[in-house]
Amino acid sequence: MNIAEIFSNYGGITFGALGAALAVLMSGIGSSRGLGIVGEAASALMIDEPEKFGRSLVLQLIPGSQGLYGFVIGLLAMLQLSPAMELSHGLYVFMSCLPIAFVGWKSAIFQSKVCAAGITLLAKNEPQVTKAIIFAVMVETYALLAFVISLILLNTVQF
Amino acid sequence: MAIAKMTKFTLITFSKYRVRLLRELQHFKYVHFLDLTQNKILKNLDLKSISLPESINALEENMKKTEFAIKVLEEVQERESVFQKLKKGPEGYDLEEIEEQARSVPFDEIYEEISTLVRTREHFEQECQKLSEKIMQLTPWLSLNIPFKILCSLKQCTVLLGMIPKKLKENFTDDLSQTALTYFHIVNEDHEHVYVIVVSHHSKNGKVLDILARCGFTTVRFSIEHEPEKEVHDLKKKAEKYRKRIHEMEKRLKEMSAYLKDLKLLYEYFALLKVRHEASEKFLTTDHFHIIEGYVPEKFSGKFQKAVKKILGKEFYLHMKEADTDDPDVPVLLENRKFTAAFESITEMYAMPKYSELDPTPLLTIFYFVFFGMMVADLGYGLFLFITTFLVLKYLNLSEKQKRFIHFFHYLSYSVMLWGLIYGSFLGGIIPLPAVIHATEEYHSLLLLSVALGVIHIFFALGIKAYNHLKNRQYFAAVFDVGFWYLVLSGGIIFIISLFVTVSETLRSTGLYAMIIGAAGILLTGGRENKTFGGKIAGGLYSLYGISGYIGDFVSYTRLMALCLSSAFLASAINMIIDMLLNLGWFGVFPAIIVFVIGSAFNLFLSMLSSYVHTLRLTYVEFFGKFYEGGGKAFRPFINEPKYIRYK
Repeated sequence: MNIAEIFSNYGGITFGALGAALAVLMSGIGSSRGLGIVGEAASALMIDEPEKFGRSLVLQLIPGSQGLYGFVIGLLAMLQLSPAMELSHGLYVFMSCLPIAFVGWKSAIFQSKVCAAGITLLAKNEPQVTKAIIFAVMVETYALLAFVISLILLNTVQF
Repeated sequence: MAIAKMTKFTLITFSKYRVRLLRELQHFKYVHFLDLTQNKILKNLDLKSISLPESINALEENMKKTEFAIKVLEEVQERESVFQKLKKGPEGYDLEEIEEQARSVPFDEIYEEISTLVRTREHFEQECQKLSEKIMQLTPWLSLNIPFKILCSLKQCTVLLGMIPKKLKENFTDDLSQTALTYFHIVNEDHEHVYVIVVSHHSKNGKVLDILARCGFTTVRFSIEHEPEKEVHDLKKKAEKYRKRIHEMEKRLKEMSAYLKDLKLLYEYFALLKVRHEASEKFLTTDHFHIIEGYVPEKFSGKFQKAVKKILGKEFYLHMKEADTDDPDVPVLLENRKFTAAFESITEMYAMPKYSELDPTPLLTIFYFVFFGMMVADLGYGLFLFITTFLVLKYLNLSEKQKRFIHFFHYLSYSVMLWGLIYGSFLGGIIPLPAVIHATEEYHSLLLLSVALGVIHIFFALGIKAYNHLKNRQYFAAVFDVGFWYLVLSGGIIFIISLFVTVSETLRSTGLYAMIIGAAGILLTGGRENKTFGGKIAGGLYSLYGISGYIGDFVSYTRLMALCLSSAFLASAINMIIDMLLNLGWFGVFPAIIVFVIGSAFNLFLSMLSSYVHTLRLTYVEFFGKFYEGGGKAFRPFINEPKYIRYK
């Protein structure tokens, strides 16, 4: 078997699986980094004001959704995998996974910075914390759009 | 159902009545005082302001003290569970009761006693800490059975107590056992150190110290007389005594927590007084008179007059007139029916409307209701939301503000259930339901529906803008700024549809012409406020460029679809995992339940939060952006928000 044959025989499933893996792992890295950043800021707040735990938890959880979107895309991509799939099909699945992989990764980190700033707001002026949440969720819009496009791409073309 | 009409009043009366008048007005509650110290005309008449910084400081000091006492007593008091606390809620009092009961509280004595107790308790706790440290130091030496007095009294020998690192123990024993006139004994060992006593004749001191230095010896010194065991025993006894004292003090504090209720009332009383003092700083005064200005809601103006008469008899001058619509100082009080009132927080978060403006709350309510439901859109989640909010409202004793918040979500749950039925979605498809639109399959119809709702939303907002223009008699502005845009947008939409779907030729050309006429109109009138001809043209072009903004607005409504899909697919992913777990056999059941509960809870939280925020965005940016200015001052009743109790 030469390289070209290997490529056409196994390339489909390889690329498909690579797509699923990337969707989960990149957005997962982003989300965990994001949760970490907010978590650090929130723990500092717990020193003096442990009673604000509930609200800081809400802020911490916000960048967690990107990982979840990536997971769902990964799961849906996984359902299309089969050993016999065409190379073109595999590449298509791979490409479909890219939007959420990249946007999920970076947007979670950007969002977490807004959340960490929100923790400062929570420390100094608790009644206004809803506004911090709103600012943070705004960043999510683009992760959401990427998710929906990945989703639609995965489901539109039938091979 | 909008902004409450206000009446402006000017009141002049003798200064001796001030305290009683303020008390009466606080009971009446609905007065908003104007800060007259900012009024330049009156200031120039050489009227003085009233300044009470000392009494306000004293009140603040007292409030802090009361807060401290309450905190201390609440800590020692038996804890109630959170649920019980919520169920009971804060107790209700009216102002008369607060004043009457608060005055009879011997505050200074209570505070004095509590702070002394806390101070001495702290002192004893520190002492206990010191004692236990001493005991810790002595513990390794317990087996040393000699009174220290004797060790110190040896004349010919030096006695050294100390520890060496464990790994040097052998060096130590070897070297010292070869030294003459020297005795050593290993008293104790733990996993790091060896505790030793070394007794040597003075003549050997130099050599011994040398060896000890090589072995990393650290001297330990005690200032005690008896053998360690007795000392430890004494220390323990002492600590026990201290602990007893602490316990007694705690008991006394617990007894004092009977005052908790009084202290809470007292705190509110101080807070009420502080509000009164702060209000009087807004008045102006001569040597004998006060001048007071402010606003009362029109419907309460009769009551206000009665309250004033009750205190002042005939010794006052009162002038009342309807508040001027254009007066920027008129405070704004929103008045809505129960359903719409739940959405007032959305308007308040953005900005209070001006007194001359329309209250946007009733206008945004119906769209907020529809959009939120469309984004969450699940019958199961809706039911859950409905039941929990219903139970909370029924069984918990909440403050007005909290109640409003829960009501808000309670109303939204209807919309969520309704959209869940339309999409045929129950917990992400656990129970298959017939659907009007299959959200997870028919993206196209969902996308169209989202944008269509957006078009309605924006057209409605433009309609309100036109209404505002008409109300202000700016008829041309209504045609130029809204009418032309209606033409452009509706014409454009018809034309674009005609590109994809076959429609009759007349409809198509009507759309095209409408769009062209509208665009021409905007081009000619958009820059009408500019002076020069060039400016007018440029302004027109710029206004027409606003079309890109409208396209952006319409696209923005696709978030309705995006959020709906994300929550539906997250739910179906949870169901997929559950399926996999259940396929494993009976031992998959328990993990499946856990995944279901945690997953659904997280998804519900996520989709509710996102829906809340994204609907806010559609309201604030796309909707309010078209017509709403805001910037009014909120009406502040002449009373504070209670911290520990509830007003009846």
